[in-house]
Amino acid sequence: MWKNSSLRCLFAIAILCLRSLIYGQEIGSLGHPQNLKCVTHNLRKMICTWDVSSKGRHGQTDILCFKTKEKRVEIPVPESSSMMTITTNSISGTAFVTKEFEIHKKDISFVPLAPRILSLTPDFSTSTLNLKWSDNGSVFLYGLDAFWQIQILRKEVTYYSKLTHEDIILSWNWTSDMPLECTSHYVKIRCYINVTQFVGPKDWSDWSPVEEVPGKDTEPNGSGVFPQDTVVAVGSDVTICCVHAKGQQIQRMTYGREIYPMIRLSSRSSAIRVLNASASDTSGTNVVCRLSEDDMDGTVLFVGYAPDTPQNLSCETSNFLKIKCTWKPGRPSGLYGKRRTKYSLFERISGKNVSCEVNEMNRERVCGFPVLADQKTYDFVLGVSNPIGQAESLLLLDLTQRVHPKAPEKLAVSGKSSTSVRLHWFLNGSFAEIRLLCQIEVSHGHSEQRLHNVSMPGGEFSTYTAQLNALHAYTKYQFRVRCSAADHFWRWSDWSRIEEHTTLEAPPARGPDIWREKSPSGKSLKIFWKPLSLSEANGKIVSHEVSCYLLETPLEYKEVTEPSNSTEIKLGKRDCVISVVAKNHAGSSPPSRITSVELPSDNVKTDRAVAMGNGIYISWSSYPNMTCGYIVKWCHSSGSEPCSVDWQKFPSNTTDAVIKSALFRPGVRYNFSLYGCKSSGYQLLKNITGYMKELPPKRAPNFTVEETSSDSILVKWEDIPIEDCQGFLEGYRLSFAKGEKDALKPTLSESGNPELKVKNITDLTKKSLKILDLQGKTSYQLDLQAYTAGGLSPPNSLYVVTKEDCKIKETFYPEIPNPENSKALQFQKNICEGNKTLKTLEMNPCTPNSVEVVETRSAAPKIEDTEMMSPAADTTVPEDGSDSETENHVVVSYCPPIIEEEISNPPMDEPVGSSQVVYIDIQSMYQPQIKPEEEPEIDLVTTAGYKPQMQLPVSALKIESCSPAEEELDKTTGYRPQANTNTWNMDTPDSPGSAESNNENASFGSPCSINSRQFLLPPKDDEDSPKPSNVGWSFTHFFQNKPND
Amino acid sequence: MAAADNTSAALRRRDLCSRGIRLAGKMRSDVVDLLDTYVEQQGLDASASVAAVEGVPAAAVERWDEQTGTQRLLENLAAYRAFRALLAQMLEEQQEQLGEADAALGRALAAVLLQVSAFTYHLEELLRLESRGPPSEEGAEPPPAPHLSLFERKLRGLGVLRELAQWAVRSTRDLRQLAKPSPGSSSAASLAESP
Repeated sequence: MWKNSSLRCLFAIAILCLRSLIYGQEIGSLGHPQNLKCVTHNLRKMICTWDVSSKGRHGQTDILCFKTKEKRVEIPVPESSSMMTITTNSISGTAFVTKEFEIHKKDISFVPLAPRILSLTPDFSTSTLNLKWSDNGSVFLYGLDAFWQIQILRKEVTYYSKLTHEDIILSWNWTSDMPLECTSHYVKIRCYINVTQFVGPKDWSDWSPVEEVPGKDTEPNGSGVFPQDTVVAVGSDVTICCVHAKGQQIQRMTYGREIYPMIRLSSRSSAIRVLNASASDTSGTNVVCRLSEDDMDGTVLFVGYAPDTPQNLSCETSNFLKIKCTWKPGRPSGLYGKRRTKYSLFERISGKNVSCEVNEMNRERVCGFPVLADQKTYDFVLGVSNPIGQAESLLLLDLTQRVHPKAPEKLAVSGKSSTSVRLHWFLNGSFAEIRLLCQIEVSHGHSEQRLHNVSMPGGEFSTYTAQLNALHAYTKYQFRVRCSAADHFWRWSDWSRIEEHTTLEAPPARGPDIWREKSPSGKSLKIFWKPLSLSEANGKIVSHEVSCYLLETPLEYKEVTEPSNSTEIKLGKRDCVISVVAKNHAGSSPPSRITSVELPSDNVKTDRAVAMGNGIYISWSSYPNMTCGYIVKWCHSSGSEPCSVDWQKFPSNTTDAVIKSALFRPGVRYNFSLYGCKSSGYQLLKNITGYMKELPPKRAPNFTVEETSSDSILVKWEDIPIEDCQGFLEGYRLSFAKGEKDALKPTLSESGNPELKVKNITDLTKKSLKILDLQGKTSYQLDLQAYTAGGLSPPNSLYVVTKEDCKIKETFYPEIPNPENSKALQFQKNICEGNKTLKTLEMNPCTPNSVEVVETRSAAPKIEDTEMMSPAADTTVPEDGSDSETENHVVVSYCPPIIEEEISNPPMDEPVGSSQVVYIDIQSMYQPQIKPEEEPEIDLVTTAGYKPQMQLPVSALKIESCSPAEEELDKTTGYRPQANTNTWNMDTPDSPGSAESNNENASFGSPCSINSRQFLLPPKDDEDSPKPSNVGWSFTHFFQNKPND
Repeated sequence: MAAADNTSAALRRRDLCSRGIRLAGKMRSDVVDLLDTYVEQQGLDASASVAAVEGVPAAAVERWDEQTGTQRLLENLAAYRAFRALLAQMLEEQQEQLGEADAALGRALAAVLLQVSAFTYHLEELLRLESRGPPSEEGAEPPPAPHLSLFERKLRGLGVLRELAQWAVRSTRDLRQLAKPSPGSSSAASLAESP
């Protein structure tokens, strides 16, 4: 009833309102209802509130037909603007004040009711809050847009939804950047509904009551480091908090090894913020909250990468039972164990899914998937996921095109034939749906492998067979097999293991290559044959049958067993046709035939062949009547064994050939015979001689000086034996230049001597040469070499001194005293006066002495006493003697030898220095000969005639003796200073001045060996020279008083 | 006859003790190495103090020299049985957490576990030489491991290895003590005797 009357009233008001709008509106006054406000929460009803003056407070207000004791009334929202009359009555019911309000639609506010939170649920593991509330959509008659404002602690979020005239539970998740355990989180919500057709002011609802997710720090015993054992992506910003008991203090918080600044969250909770976290170690990064020295708490944070997209996904089957998929995982996630990246293989067509057990540490991942019945096409999705993310890779394939069989097994070879075998092998797989292509590799010895392809229908775990023909007899073959799909090749299997098989023997394929040679008497014939190659022999040759036929009549038969490759038969006076047959266990070869007839030849010439380095080139003219070709025959000689005959046959159109043989050696001369073949027999056409490679002659010809004068030398040489030539001799080269014998000197051609002259003798018949225009009394070095196309031989050297002009000698170099008592110094008086023939002046048994110089000073720079050098030379009478040395040097020797001294940084004011000179009895210390090369530092002066004692090398010396071995010294020409001021100390018992030694030496006229270059026997005219008796003579003194200065 | 048996048992016990001492020495050395590896691999501070591991008798004991041989063996056995279980657990956790990532640590752990098992068997043998034999393991299982965070498990592992290192030293001393012939009595009797 009430409801109906209300409706009627509303109707009346409406009428009033319309009128009111025409006639104006009334303004309230003091004590009257005022400040009317109307608010709707649901667009259907509104709540209007107003104020009244204090006078009317105790009365009752009639709002049209609504009566209320409050200053608010809930009434339907009017369709349009309308008038509202508020009558305030007294408590007794008397109308007190009536006030009319005009209500415009735009004055009605729309404020939704505050939402109510149904639940707030925390998920600590993900630091996520879940909020649920009802949208109260059912209170509205139609759908509306709603906005929700949610406040979480310090955040404010706006959420949009549509109201659909039903109550819908809305849910919203929020993930905190701080673990929810760290401190309490609060949530409240309000809403705003966007009613577009509502003209009045719209506003947010009130906030809902606050909901709270309490942090661990609110729990009385709550403590710990949060988040616990979490996985985050590399580069993330992470907040980690430490909740502790009340009253405790955190000393420090570390992330890994680094201490981080703490952010205080509450009295029991502090946090650190790790920015841009880098990848963890395998066991994660420890976060430690140190509360005291003995108390700590912690958590482990795993920082890694989301899985990379799998690369190179590839699937294949080896047996049509299982599909094997492989891929490369790309960048490692850095997460292991339970947090590792997991793979699954999903096949879209069948909907089948398998999870893959993969080894995290392997570079290549493998996953198996069963082959499904009646399914050829597979559409794979390789799913990959880890706690941080996921990825996938796709592959669509036809399995028959992805066949990769396993290596064939149980390979066996059978066959009792010389040319064919059968191979059998087993393939582990079900290949009935496809054809197979198998490849058989055949090899033997070191020959290259041959491949045979065999296509065959596939079977179910079957054995397959193939036959191979056209093999060589008696050959050990190696076989192996691999297989693939024939129609859609994908990959070869691995090779099977190798199986060996030797084919049976067959009769030799051809007769041997034969040659024959008649004995010089012509009564016997030696027959030679070459062994057949392995491929021709077809087995092991056991013997050769040699027969001699005369017009089909066998005259002689021989069976020669291996390994002979020749035999001799007696011919008597007849010629015959020789037949040679090679035999093995399987049979005989076709016969090779050759006639014994040797046609006469005349005027056989000998030509030279050309060395090719790797062979010998020979050529010949064409002989038109040689109808059946040519034979080149030669003989290899090795040491003492008789030479082995070899030959090579050429067709009749050939006129040259390069003969090669592994037996040819460079520098060895080979003789070839060229035979022509006619139907009637063989004819020797010519001989050819040659080298595979010409080398320089092994040695130079021996040569001697036949004659010498003051301006010429005549030399003569011998032939070189042919085996030493090592090539065709092309000529001789005689080099000469001024020079004295010097062991250290290079050969003339290497010396770079600008005065070097060379004579080239190309006339091989010439065996002597006279060298003219030479200087008198001058030492010359002569080098003679022979040469071939291979180069020059080593030289033979000769030192010759030309004769001198005697007038010069007598004028400028009078004869020097000749120590009569020295046998070694019994020179011929004057070469000019003596024998005209050249004499080698060699010292006859030289009585040596020995001087050992023990230097205690450090080695000093060598000093060449150029002051003492003089070109002047006195004439010395040469002594007859034979050339005892290979170098044939012609010298005039003087003994005792010169002992070259070493000047060890001679201090001018300390002439004696610390050199210790040990004199050894020169008579008794005859030393055995020592090799010249053992004293390389002795500078040898090898000249003829009288020479001043110059050019003394100042090399360090340890002179053992003046031994005959020191021939080089002995041969030193003439007269040399023999002084050592150091040793002239008469106080020294061992000094030359001591009685004994002095006496012994008296026969020589001067001390034999001393460590000095001072003249003991000064030149005749050198009156100012220091005397040996000058005790205490110093080196300095010597230089200071040098008369030539 | 009885004297001969006693002599044989004494020899056997001495032999077991000396082999046990060698085993303990090797175990100690390996555990020390493993500790270094473990601390480094787990990113721990080598000086970190760790609470006593539940279920493991402490190696340090008061009045050690007053213990009887049997007491020593029983305490050793209890400790090594606990270590065996704990190391197996550590190995399992290692596998779970790291997979194949750090096989070296896993191998080292397995090796020490093997030695602990061998030493446990050795102790059981020694106890068998006594007439009493080793106590049953039933009911002596350590309590199931409480749910621990990974960090706590790392620390626990550290504690287990440290304690094991201590025990290896103590076991050596215990076995040396056991190997000493008891003056004035047969060596067989020296295990069970005394206060």
